[in-house]
Amino acid sequence: MKLSLLTVVKRWTSVAVAFCGILAFNASTAQAITCEVTPREVPISISYHGAKLTITGQTAPDDDLILKISSKPHDTAMKYYGKAGGLVWMKQGGLEFKGVPGVYLVNTTKDMNLILSETERNQYQLGYDAMAKATKIEDDKGQPAERKWFDEFTRFKEKEMIYKVEQGTITRQHGEKGNTFEIVVNWPFQAPPGIYNIDLLAVNNGKVVDKTATTFEVKRVGVIAALSKMAVDQAALYGIMSVLIALAAGTAVGAIFKKGGGSH
Amino acid sequence: MYMYLPIALTSVNYLVVIGLGLSVGLLSGLFGVGGGFLMTPLLMMVGIPPTIAAATDANQIVAASASGTFAHWRLGNVDVKMGVYLLVGGFLGGAVGVQVIKLLRATGGADFLIKMTYVVMLGLVGSFMFVESIYAMRKKKVASAAPVTQVKVAAPAKKRNGFFASLPLQVYFEKSGVTHSALVPLFLGTFVGVLAAIMGVGGGFLMVPVMVYMLRMPMHVVVGTSLFQILFTCIEVTFLQAYSNRTVDFFLALLLLFGSVFGAQIGTVLGKKLHGDQLKILLAILVLAVTVKIVLELVLQPSLLLAYAGGH
Repeated sequence: MKLSLLTVVKRWTSVAVAFCGILAFNASTAQAITCEVTPREVPISISYHGAKLTITGQTAPDDDLILKISSKPHDTAMKYYGKAGGLVWMKQGGLEFKGVPGVYLVNTTKDMNLILSETERNQYQLGYDAMAKATKIEDDKGQPAERKWFDEFTRFKEKEMIYKVEQGTITRQHGEKGNTFEIVVNWPFQAPPGIYNIDLLAVNNGKVVDKTATTFEVKRVGVIAALSKMAVDQAALYGIMSVLIALAAGTAVGAIFKKGGGSH
Repeated sequence: MYMYLPIALTSVNYLVVIGLGLSVGLLSGLFGVGGGFLMTPLLMMVGIPPTIAAATDANQIVAASASGTFAHWRLGNVDVKMGVYLLVGGFLGGAVGVQVIKLLRATGGADFLIKMTYVVMLGLVGSFMFVESIYAMRKKKVASAAPVTQVKVAAPAKKRNGFFASLPLQVYFEKSGVTHSALVPLFLGTFVGVLAAIMGVGGGFLMVPVMVYMLRMPMHVVVGTSLFQILFTCIEVTFLQAYSNRTVDFFLALLLLFGSVFGAQIGTVLGKKLHGDQLKILLAILVLAVTVKIVLELVLQPSLLLAYAGGH
């Protein structure tokens, strides 16, 4: 009988602990993480010069946030410069960067190194160090290349405006509408058309505690779409059209200037 | 203010691009050069990928050289007969040059050779034209200071080189007032065609000195004839680049040609007001400035040590 009483107490204690655990868990995940991007479709028209993407959502109040916008990873071939004969700078060979995204934009609420452990950063490929560890770089002979070339690669992409890591750029609001966040991303016009992924990670105690993802598409429309299609599908016609219009423009202006000209 | 380019996949300030077209078109009309050796690096500076810049430049040169050729045609400055001989040679040379580059790319020495060819050819042409023009201008000053009776003495007939004169197929080129074997412009056209293909340019800045100093053509006929030859070369290049490589950006070409056709006309009118030696000295300074730029690019460390594969 005494034993069974002890068992009952133990069971109730377990239930109580479990309940407290559930309560504690709910406290951090009481609010389902959400992420929305506006607009979901970015049209590339003739006057396109990039876009403003507004990304909003809700997360638990105590979590920090990391937002990654990237394109599907692919192999990128580059040429590297070196000094030939100790005198002149020349392209000396090729490097292939395996499985790198074409576009990589990261925004956070705080310094990523302070809010997320290195293991987690590596797992989710957050930050250039984590990317460098996951990226294989091969030279023309298939030999692995030095890490310095990855740093050069990110510098190159940053100059193209399609790689950027910005800390403390996501703003949070806690009010009647819940625990919301918002960030306005200046989408670079240099980013090619395609489908892009947005990964939102909620971070607490150095770990990713929740995550969600969405996508948006950047696509050519109107005359831009028509010309791109023609250049690929009807290359000969596109070439002839380019020549004829150039000839017509040249001779037309020549004719316009006729009155202004004179004999030599 | 901005226009998106469907093939270059970038957005540009169209006023800047039209301005570039106007400036290079002006030089084209003034000197009879296509301007490819200037325009391609300028386009790269505004963010156009190198392959697109080179191919699209050829397209806009079609417009500028059509405009310039038309203007010079009206002024009677186009030697069609000479132009056709040079053009045939140029096509042959272009085909040979493309094979040379293929061979060099396979051996890995193409990039270095291309840059060195630029430096040597531009340096030689620029220096020679500069010195020669200064010398000619000084000579004229001395002549104008001399008594009028001496100036009016008839100039001695041009001596024709014994070797060139002994070649078969002698042809008189009425417009230029010179007689050459048909083999001479054919050979020189081929020579320039080879170099132009290696350097990836139309070759106007090489063809102009060849016509002035080797074919002894009058400067104003040289400009018109050079534009005539460039027109046909660039029509071929534009079509091949669009068809084979899909690297011609039609919108970019439109912006450039909008500026360049007007620039070419202004250049032609301006050219009439300048003396032949003044034109030569200005072109020499331009060519030497480009040479210095290329030398600096070679010896100074680039700001980025990587470039996309597939460019120049």
